[in-house]
Amino acid sequence: MKVLAIVRTELTRTFRWRANIFFLLIMPMGLILLLGIAYGNSNARFGVFEKGDGALAGQLVKALRSEPGLDVRGYGSQDSMEKAVERGYVSAGLVIPSSFDARIQAGKPVALRYLARPDSLAPQVRIAVESAVSAQGSDIAAARIVRGVQKTSLQGALRRVKAVDLAAPASVELLSARGGKYPKSQGQFDRSASTMLLLFVFLSALTGSVWLIETRRLGVARRMLSTPSSAREILLGIVIGRWVITLLQSLSIVVFSGLVFSVDWGNPLGTAAVILSFSLVAVGAGVLIGTLFSSEQQAGPVGMIVGLTFAAIGGSMAPLDTFPATMRKIAHVTPHAWANDAFNHLLVNGGGLSSVALDVAVLCGYAVVLLTLATWRLRRVLTA
Amino acid sequence: MRESVLHCEGLRKRFGDIQAVNGVSFEIASGESYGLLGPNGAGKTTAISIVAGLLEADAGEAFVAGERLTTRSVAAKAAIGFVPQDLAIYPDLSAHENLCFFARLYGLSAKQAHARTEEVLEVVGLSERANDQAKTYSGGMKRRLNIGIGLLHEPRLLILDEPTVGVDPQSRNAILESVEQLGEKGMAVLYTTHYMEEAERLCDRVGIIDHGELKAEGTREELVALLGEHDKVHLTGTGSLEAAANACVRIGAVDAASTGDGSIELLVKGASAALPEILTTASEAGVSVHSVEVEEPNLEAVFLHLTGRALRD
Ligand SMILES: Nc1ncnc2c1ncn2[C@@H]1O[C@H](COP(=O)(O)OP(=O)(O)OP(=O)(O)O)[C@@H](O)[C@H]1O
Ligand SMILES: [Mg+2]
Repeated sequence: MKVLAIVRTELTRTFRWRANIFFLLIMPMGLILLLGIAYGNSNARFGVFEKGDGALAGQLVKALRSEPGLDVRGYGSQDSMEKAVERGYVSAGLVIPSSFDARIQAGKPVALRYLARPDSLAPQVRIAVESAVSAQGSDIAAARIVRGVQKTSLQGALRRVKAVDLAAPASVELLSARGGKYPKSQGQFDRSASTMLLLFVFLSALTGSVWLIETRRLGVARRMLSTPSSAREILLGIVIGRWVITLLQSLSIVVFSGLVFSVDWGNPLGTAAVILSFSLVAVGAGVLIGTLFSSEQQAGPVGMIVGLTFAAIGGSMAPLDTFPATMRKIAHVTPHAWANDAFNHLLVNGGGLSSVALDVAVLCGYAVVLLTLATWRLRRVLTA
Repeated sequence: MRESVLHCEGLRKRFGDIQAVNGVSFEIASGESYGLLGPNGAGKTTAISIVAGLLEADAGEAFVAGERLTTRSVAAKAAIGFVPQDLAIYPDLSAHENLCFFARLYGLSAKQAHARTEEVLEVVGLSERANDQAKTYSGGMKRRLNIGIGLLHEPRLLILDEPTVGVDPQSRNAILESVEQLGEKGMAVLYTTHYMEEAERLCDRVGIIDHGELKAEGTREELVALLGEHDKVHLTGTGSLEAAANACVRIGAVDAASTGDGSIELLVKGASAALPEILTTASEAGVSVHSVEVEEPNLEAVFLHLTGRALRD
């Protein structure tokens, strides 16, 4: 019950200072938002100029719009679209001629003008456009056969072909090399959201050491030890308080990125286990720093440096896969590397709780060591 | 004989080169208030920290309510209310929140904590400002909150480390009055101060501490009796007071002399007989004496007698 009183006081004090709500909860969301805009929108912009207004031309544009990875913009003239391509505002553009519907109805080939700039997205765009065009082409080919048999209009035949497509979807599923499913979403932002979460949570838990130092400086920590409460109870209360704050922060990042950018956080139990254990490590490191230094001015920068260094070494700035083998071994000194591995299992390989058991166990080990050291240090600094 | 609440024996503590506490032993019975009187750096806070279970002694032992005291002894600490010399409160919490928080740490249930918080707010006179953050309080109010925290669990031993330092006279009087009342209720009080008047007013017994050693202890009367036939002579004047004081100690009847702000204090055996000689010696040493007072001996005189120095210099 003493522990609960300490937890409550930690939370009351933290959130009484309104700026903390901003630093702890709003800022990480803002950061995710910025990253989302930078990473998440990796869709290529693609221009379309539709000269005529035929039904078949409209269907092609619709198909292009639903193509994943393409962000389609319509243009009012060929000239304005050409300019947009030249300036790189769109990666490529397609001109649909006014004779599009008529030529297809007549069974004649249609030439589509394709304008592109040689940027990195060009091949991706070309594949997407070709796939949309050829899908329409094969539907039309099928419709011609249907028309021949049933004597309906081409549009009517096309509707029938489409209905068959829907009834018997023959879909292809892409599989990764290791045999797991590729995640449904882009994937790229999912991974960066999880590494950002680790970086941010660790950093903010480390700078949380200033709270413990303040409690010591105010003489309150020592006074707490003059009550019939052990150093372990006192530290436990402080740790749980900081842990709750860190978990609220993680939760806000997960929920926000999930809602706004449809980031897929994988197996909920697995992700929860990783976040719980990693946060505890972070809080443990924070309170240990809070017992090693006696002024906020020292602990703040130390927390910042340790937090950023660990994040860099541990693969929260550049993915661990890009590290040479020895660096990857060294990386596993940091809790970040274990947590990043765990997220890899969850998000890339679609694993569940059992796939992260080892990583979570290692993280718990870290937490126990850090908290034991912190308890020992706290007793020492309060009774010296 | 009354039950002993605190008993300590041969306490020692050294910080590097400084022997802060050097073999201190004393005992406090229930309902008794005991004062540790000594100048700055005498070792009061150090001794009291050991007794509050916040500092491990190098040697010696202490028992509170029969429990041996170490920094880990939770049972002994349950019997102690500790009020540190420096404020130890959360400035961003209200008096009510600070008190409730510590009440829980002292092991009270949520309900008891609330009830006791209201009572203590009344005792320390903070009921009206109970819900304001402590940082908005005056210095005296913060001090009173600081003291209130030590009263929450109605401890058998209340330890107060210079609770009136830096407090205006009015708040100081309020603090002294509440400490007096607590003593009357049967709480044992350990009180440190370097104000002679506080020790004389509050404490049943006083221990005089200097350089980490307990020089003497007893009731005010017992301590004053140590002076024997001594009187305190207070001279004011101008000139080389230092030289005059040095000359005066050489007089047989003068035991000790110290100089203060425009004055000399002398401890004299049979003041009326020795007075003429003292006055001549002083003027020969170049001091023009403005006034002479023979005072009834007090604890300050006892301190001068025991250490050869004034309590406050
Ligand atoms: N943590 C410490 N480290 C080193 N020296 C210390 C420490 N605490 C106290 N001292 C030294 O021990 C001596 C006794 O200090 P203490 O605080 O006990 O005196 P005090 O009687 O309480 O004085 P005051 O009336 O000024 O509060 C002093 O010389 C002080 O400098
Ligand atoms: Mg002191």
